[in-house]
Parts: sequence; structure tokens; C-alpha cells
Amino acid sequence: MHMEPATFPFLSAILLSCVVGMLTIMVIPEERHVLIKQVSIFFSGVCLLLTLYVFFAFNRSLGGLQFVEQVSWIPTLGISYFNAVDGFSLPNLLLTGIVFFTGVLTMWELNTRVKEYFALYFLLVTGVFGLFMSMDLFFIFVWYDVSLFPMYLLIAIWGTTRKEYGAMKLTLYLLAGSALILPAIIFLWAKSGLNTFSFVSLMHPGMFSPADQKFAFLLLFLGFGILAAVWPMHTWSPDGHVAAPHGVSMVHAGVLMKIGSFGVLRVAIMLCPLGWIYWAKSMAVLAVIGIIYGALVGLRQTDLKYVIGYSSVSHMGVVGLGLSTVTVAGLNGAVFQMFAHGIMTALLFSSVGYIYDRTHTKLIPELGGLSRIMPVASAFFILAALAGVGLPGLANFWGELLVFLAAFKVYPLFGVIGVVTLVITALFMLRVVQKTFYGPANARFAGLPDVSPWLGTPRIILAAVLLILGLYPSLLFNVIRTASVPFMNGLPR
Amino acid sequence: MAGSPAYAVDLTAMIAATMLPFVSFLTILIATRGRPRLSAGLSIGSVTISLACSIALLALHFHLAAPIEFSTRLLASGGLDIPFGFLLDRLNLLMIAIVSAICFLVQVYSLGYMAGDPGFSRYYGFMSLFTWAMMSLALSASLLQLYFFWELVGLSSYLLIGFWYEKFSATQAGKKAFVMTRAGDAAFFIGLLLLFVHTGDLSIAHLDSRSALSGVSPSFLTLSALLIFGGIVGKSAQFPLMTWLPDAMEGPTPVSALLHSATMVAAGVYLFARLFPFFSMSSVAMTVFLAIGTISMLLASTMAIVSRDIKKVWAYSTISQLGFMIMALGAGGYFAGVFHLTTHAGFKALLFLCSGVFIHRYETNDIYELSRFGARRMVIPTVSIVLGAAALSGLPPLSGYFSKEAIMGSLAAMHNPLWLAAGLAGVFLTAYYSFRVIFILLFPRAEGAASPPPQEAGITAGGHAAHESGYRAMAWPLIILSAVSVIFGFFKTSFKDFIGGGAAAGGAAGMEPSWLHIAPLALALAGVGLAWVEFGRKGAKQIGFVDRMPVLSRLFAERWYIDRFYGLVVEFVIDRGISRLCSQNDRKVIDGSIDGICEGTVESGWVVAFLQTGMIQYRLLAILGVLALLLLCFYF
Repeated sequence: MHMEPATFPFLSAILLSCVVGMLTIMVIPEERHVLIKQVSIFFSGVCLLLTLYVFFAFNRSLGGLQFVEQVSWIPTLGISYFNAVDGFSLPNLLLTGIVFFTGVLTMWELNTRVKEYFALYFLLVTGVFGLFMSMDLFFIFVWYDVSLFPMYLLIAIWGTTRKEYGAMKLTLYLLAGSALILPAIIFLWAKSGLNTFSFVSLMHPGMFSPADQKFAFLLLFLGFGILAAVWPMHTWSPDGHVAAPHGVSMVHAGVLMKIGSFGVLRVAIMLCPLGWIYWAKSMAVLAVIGIIYGALVGLRQTDLKYVIGYSSVSHMGVVGLGLSTVTVAGLNGAVFQMFAHGIMTALLFSSVGYIYDRTHTKLIPELGGLSRIMPVASAFFILAALAGVGLPGLANFWGELLVFLAAFKVYPLFGVIGVVTLVITALFMLRVVQKTFYGPANARFAGLPDVSPWLGTPRIILAAVLLILGLYPSLLFNVIRTASVPFMNGLPR
Repeated sequence: MAGSPAYAVDLTAMIAATMLPFVSFLTILIATRGRPRLSAGLSIGSVTISLACSIALLALHFHLAAPIEFSTRLLASGGLDIPFGFLLDRLNLLMIAIVSAICFLVQVYSLGYMAGDPGFSRYYGFMSLFTWAMMSLALSASLLQLYFFWELVGLSSYLLIGFWYEKFSATQAGKKAFVMTRAGDAAFFIGLLLLFVHTGDLSIAHLDSRSALSGVSPSFLTLSALLIFGGIVGKSAQFPLMTWLPDAMEGPTPVSALLHSATMVAAGVYLFARLFPFFSMSSVAMTVFLAIGTISMLLASTMAIVSRDIKKVWAYSTISQLGFMIMALGAGGYFAGVFHLTTHAGFKALLFLCSGVFIHRYETNDIYELSRFGARRMVIPTVSIVLGAAALSGLPPLSGYFSKEAIMGSLAAMHNPLWLAAGLAGVFLTAYYSFRVIFILLFPRAEGAASPPPQEAGITAGGHAAHESGYRAMAWPLIILSAVSVIFGFFKTSFKDFIGGGAAAGGAAGMEPSWLHIAPLALALAGVGLAWVEFGRKGAKQIGFVDRMPVLSRLFAERWYIDRFYGLVVEFVIDRGISRLCSQNDRKVIDGSIDGICEGTVESGWVVAFLQTGMIQYRLLAILGVLALLLLCFYF
């Protein structure tokens, strides 16, 4: 694999600005809320700019690993601080940057324990950034747990509905995931006999025997699959979404679930391709069940955040289906869908956040007629819902198109089921839109302000990303294919 | 070739015609929401340029021999190329002219109809979106691109049907339109993916060339043709996905005019015509299409007979006329189908716009009430609506007569006379229900002197203010469309040369028996005559023959219970059936078992905790026991 060393450690700079941001927040006096928020916006803005730079500076014709930084840390165990981006991780990195920044903006009106909130939020995102850029198995595991720990506190302290239950459930599930991942990583490390955790060294065809690959893939798929809300291990995710504060829901649904699917791709699929091919059909079955099941359960939900939560289960099923096709188109579609879904759910949660802060409810039967009262705030939600329906012109369409196209080649029946589910998704998304935003203006909420340009900024950014990628998908596909095409070509057949 | 100046002009014109409405859509929604006049100006300005470009293209390429194609790669993803571009041939030259003309007229008309509505800017924004989607759909070079805009046409209909979103019925209708057409689109999408997987190329020119698909098995061709036809069934509101269309009347009337003439529903028939050579490769599929067209045509006609709502009558008539087009195309009459699409776009827009003037003035949709209020005193709309209805009924010398005659010609070419019989029955019913409305409007019966609502009604239920200047903006489109309906039929032969030369037209050009020219006319006159006897002549009770048969009239009024059936399926099978089952599984089985495991862990912790009593003798006993076990293990 081609490796392009970094001229300047941009990736470490991203991590550093998160850490420095967190430390700065920690030394600011508790009661200076505005200053804390300004500092948060500044540092998350720096992160976003850096990720944007990396995204656009990434050489699309060269591909391979770029911005490589490698420092040996514990040579006796073969652990090194090894960061790089390739076509798979770059979209996720950019996604994290965007969701991070807009998530800070969304929580602009937070009033309780502001300092702790933003400090923990920065810690959470540090872990996520680290995971997406790390090329060392050991570090991937460490970053996974770094992002896990603040999540519990963020939900349990600032959450809303059944927050202790949601937080505990989420933490236990994710710990169960890491309990499956760790043995698998150690197993691979031991089996290779190279005394290294580095991806580049481990990722050689024929490195592991087929039997080992099948075993390790299963553990890794289950472990990361929990995080990707693979059916039937998905129930933590709607509960967690609902319980979390809005900014955290955005990171949670937008980025944290992507860690799961990204982990499946980066660790399980890339290290154990034979295991992947062996288990692909089973993955596809679970994914298709997830697609249709999420949509059906979503139909019956009455809490706005639960609706989004179950739609995420369905959409992540599409990612899973793409990964299970063992085709270039499927991989491209899956990674694109991860990005599109991340932006879309972030937009949904950000909009719900605004609405909830004004109306103090997110129960659909209590809402209604919001379009008359806050037309702009409603428009953002409707736009995101339409993206979720897979409407052309918005980003999700392309991800779904490629995934279903690949599925039609490999599993025609699953492709048909997936496409038919789009009708159910349309039914439940439009139902929610109708019940929440249409109808006569609700007297209870009369006089509530519509979203101001400043508070609307996060939603404007997210909506613009959905639209730009919807009209110009190559922007992202050009990056993804630099990783997917060589990987599939190098696959042992 | 593509670099020569003539092509550069074409390309510029096509880009301007499609992209300007999109720019106006974005500008209106982002920047000029607070300025209704500016928004309307932007939207109408952009559609005017579209219209000018379309007419210029039509004039420039009137004798176009071979289709011109421009395409560029939008997306390349490892063995997968998704091209985006423009295809220009005679069919879409015609289509973009119709679309932009109707969009233009409807937008001008809306200046009056929507005046004073609080959502005026939003309305024009959505109108521009609609224009963009439909123009781009017509010019699409590949089936995938067509699908892209096909969905956007669906979106714009959803937004415009549910435009008055405070009204529950309107939002319900918008949702229904979107979901129902989506159901058809799912089939279309599957068919499209199947074709792609098996042929690797979705460009329309490729699909329409007989040689390209010669290697593909006939059963596969039939399957994909039927699946793609599913999208047409949804969009063009054919049986069994027809019930969204009458509900779509909840939108503002100009929207109905647009939906029913040149956009949304026409998109389905356009797709049929677009892929006509492809579809005609499978005779089984063509027969199915013919049957579906016939069923829809007859069912919708019966529904139109009993409706009291003026807009609904025209809505049912749209379904039935679309049925005629599908029948014609299914019978191989390419020219007849496209010709009827064109004439229908004109007179159906006219009918809706006329009804809109009445509804705007008298604030009711009920034909009997309109009649009592004296709707006939408004001269321009009354004359126009009579002309429109006559064209719809197929009375000479109006445009509908010529296109209906052409359709009957292609049906007569079929071996089975049943199709022709059904078509002729449809002609009779069409004339009957159209003139039923006309005679009721013209000859008010109820003696109770009903007074119309005052002219200065202010803000009405729909939220629009009635005023005089609005009437003028609304009258001009009526006059233009009436003129088109009167004149257009005489251009049948030149139209036939134009369309017939562009694409490979199927048969149906054979011998037509002479009675075929007389039969449709006679039946149409019979329909008008029956309507006259029952509704028009002095002393008529204005009760139709169907009204005397309660069972039938109930069946027709309930739309053959199709809607009820769907309602039951959604409620009992999906909502209370599988969806509920899944939710319960989620809560009780999955969550239940996980929570159970957690509680079990906690409880087993308690059990272990009881062992830790802290008494030294038990500890010693335990140590002894363990040692004894170890000893046993070592020795045996």
C-alpha cells in the first residue's frame, strides 16, 4: 500500500486541538458560560477547518495512506502511535469534524453545568477522531474506550427520558462490544507472530489462516456490530438516542454508530477478508432484517427521538447490506451512506433539539402545527426527513442507490426487500412530518420564536452538506474509491 | 460534432431551460420568502425563459432526423458509470414545449388565484421546483436520471398538494400521493436496477434500440417492462394505484391544473412513450398495459358519473383519459397516445383553470351550488369550460375529437374487438359525465334563491382574497387555452409527421374501416344527448340514471371500495399487525431478555454476597473443601 508521509502532523493537530480545547475549558471559571461556549466553538472550529483541509488536500489520484505519522511507543509489544487517513477513514473524519462543530453550536443554549458538559464532549470527540485516524490496533481499542466513558456521564447527567436506564444500557452494550473486540485483537496479534499492532504490517493476504480469519471476523463483527446497531443488538441505540442531550444525540447517532460500521470495515473486513467472504451472507440477512424491522418499529413510535432512533437502525442496515455484498459498489455505497446518514441524523436531532428547547416536549401527539409557528425550524426537519426517505437530490439517495445496486447483483431478494422498505420509510417519515409540523397552529405554542440565523447555523451547515452531496456525489465517491478499488483488487479469490 | 456552434446553442438553451427554474427555487426559498411579488417575478421570469428556450429548440429542430445526445459522467464508482446529460429528439422537443407552456400559463393564472395567500412566495418556490423537475425529466438521457427527476416531481406534488398544511385533509392527501406513487416507484426502481445489472447500460437510446437487447431473454424483458410499468401506474394514477389522484384535489386549483395536464400524471405516459420501443418488445407486457389502461379508464369514468364535486369529476376524467393514452400506447398506437397526451394537456388545464375561477369566486366545489349561485353569468370561464368539456368529450372540431379518433383507430387494429368496444363505451361515458357537469352548471334548478357569497369576501378558507385584478390574470390563460383546444386538432397531420418521424412508431397505421370515423362521434353525441335528457332539458330532474340504482351509485361513489381496502391494509396489516408485532418483540423479547440477564447478574451477586458472611469457621470450611477437591483431582 502506498504511504505518503505527512509534511506537517495535521492529524495530530486535530487531536491536539481537541485536547487543548478540553484543557482550556477546564481552567475557565465555572460561571462564565458564554466564554466556555466561545472557546468550544473556537476549538471545534479549528478541528473542522483542519479536517476540511485534510479532506481537500488528500490526493485523490494517489490514494493509499496519506498524512502518515508514525512514532514507536512500546517497541517490545509492537505498539506505535500511527495515524493516517485513507479513502475509508477520510469521509468519517470529515463527518466527525462537521458533527462536532454543529453539535457545539446546537448546545449554545445549555445552562446547567456548562463547563463539565463541554469538557466531556471534547473528550468524547477526541476518542472518535483518534479512532478514525489510527492505524494501530491497540490504539483503536484505546480510543474506543476513550469515547465510551464520557458518553455515560453525558447521558446520565444532561439527559432527559429514562436517562439512567438509557445510559446504563448503552454503556453495558458497548462494554460487551469491547469485551469481544479485545480478545479478537489479541488473537490476531498473537497469530501473526510479527509482534506488531500495526495495520499495514498485519494487512497482507495470507497473513492469517482461513479458519483464524473466520473466528476473528465473527468476534470483531459482533463486537463492532453492537455499536453499529446491527439487529438484534440494536435496542441500546434508540434508548440511548432518546436519553441523550441533543448535542450528544447528534454525535451518538451521527458519529458513534459509524465507529461500529467503520470498525467492521477497517478491522474485521480488511484484516480478515476470508472471514468476511465466509460470513457475508449472514451479515446480509441481519442487515436486511434491520432495514425492515427498524422501519416497522419506527412506524409505531410517538416520541420524535425514538422515531429517529429506529430510522437509524433501518439506515444502518443499509450500510450493513452494502458491506455484506463484497463488491466495490457495495463498499462505496456503504461508506457514502455512513456519511450521509451521519449528517442527516445530526440534522434531525439538531432540529428536534431546537423544538424541544422551546416546546419542552418531543411527544408527537402533543406537538402539531409547528410549521405555522416556526417555519424555518420545521423546514430543516422536513428536509432531513426527506433525505431519510432517500429522495434524489439529497445525499442519502446515492448511498442507497449504490448499496441496492450491489445487492441486486449479489442478493436480488434482499435488494427487493430493501427497496420495498423505502415505501414504509416514506410512510412513517411523512406521518411524523404531518403530525408534528402540519395542521392548525397549536395554541399552546403560539408566540414561540422561530429559529434565529445564529441558532440556525448548525442546521444550515448540515442541510447544505446534504444538498451539495446530493447534487455532486463525486466529491465523496472520488475519495472512497481510492481505498475500495485497490482493496477489492487485492482480495484473495 | 459536439463542439460545433449549433450544438453549443442547443446545450445552452437546454441548460437555461432546466436550470433557471432551479435557481429561482433556491433563491425564493433562501432569500426572497418575505417578498411575494419578487418571488412571483423570479419564478415567472424563469419559466418564461424556459418557454422561450423550448420554443426556440422546437423551431430549430423541427425537422430533426436523429436524436442528439449530450452526456457527461456524474459518478464513476468502480465498474459503475452514472452518466448525466440531455437527450433531444422529437418526443421531448414536444414535451418540453407542452410542459413549459402549461407551467407558464398556470403561474400567470396563479397571480390572481393565490393573491394574498400568506404562503405566496413558498407557492412560487415550489412551482419553480416543479418546473425544474419536469423539464429535466423530459430531457433526461438515461433512465436513472429520469428516475431522479421522477422522484422530484413526486416531491413537488407532495409539497403543492399539501400546500395548505393547516388543513388536515390536504396534508393527508399530499402524504397519500407521495406514498402511493412511491409504491409504484419501488417497482420502477427494482426494474431499473434489474435492467442495469443485466444490461449494464441505462441510457434511453440504448434501451430503445432493438439490437442492443436482442441477447436478453424474453421473460426477463417482460419482467423488467412490467416492473418499470409499476412506476407509470403510480405516477399516472392507473388501476390499482389510482386513488391518490382524486384526493390530490385538496391542493390549490392551479396546482391541480398543472398536475393533471402536463406534469405529474403526464410523466407516466411520457415514460411509456419514451421507452415505447423497449416496451413493445414484450407483447405480454403490452397486453397487460392495455388491460390496465382499459380497467382504469372504465372504473374512473363510473366514478366521475356520480361525483358532485366539480374538481373531482375532472380528476376522475384525468384517470380515464390517461387510461385512454395507455390503451393507445399498449395497442401500439404511438402517435395516438402522444397526440392525446398533447391535446389532453391543453383541455384539461383549461377545465381546471375554469373551475378554479368559479371556486375562487363562489368558494364551493359543489356543482349544484355553483349552478344555484349563478356561475354561468361569468362569461369567459363559462364559454371556456363548455369548450373544454366538448374537447374532452371528443366533439368535432375540437382537439379531443381528433385524438380520440386516432386512439379508436389503433384499438381497431387489435385482433380482439373487446378493446375497441371498451374504448367506445369509454367515449360514451366521457361525453355523458362531462356534459352532466355542463348542463347542471348552465341550467340551475333549485328554486331557493341562493345568493353567492359577497365579492369582497376577504380572506377565505383557502386563505386567498378575491379581487378584480386577479380575475384578469386568470382570464388570459383561459382564452389562450381555449384557442389552442379549438385550433390544435387541425394540425393532426403535421403533428403526425412530426411525431411519427421521430421514433420508430409501431403498427396501427393499417386500414381503418369507414364506420370508425362515425362510431366515436355518434357515441359521444349519444352521451351528450343522455346528459341533456337527464340534466339539460326543461323539467329534467337532474338525477342521473345511475342515481336511480342505489347499489351502483354507492359503489361508484365509494370508488369501488379500493380506498377502503388500502386503508384496512395499512391499518390492520401494517400498523396493528407486523409493526406492532415487531415493537412488542423489541420491548418484550429483546429488551426483556437483556434486562433479565442484567437482573439475573445483580441477583446472583446477592446470592454470592450471602456466602460472604464474614464468619471465620465458614471460610475455613470452604478452604478445606476446595483443598479436598484439588486432592481428588490430583490423585484420580
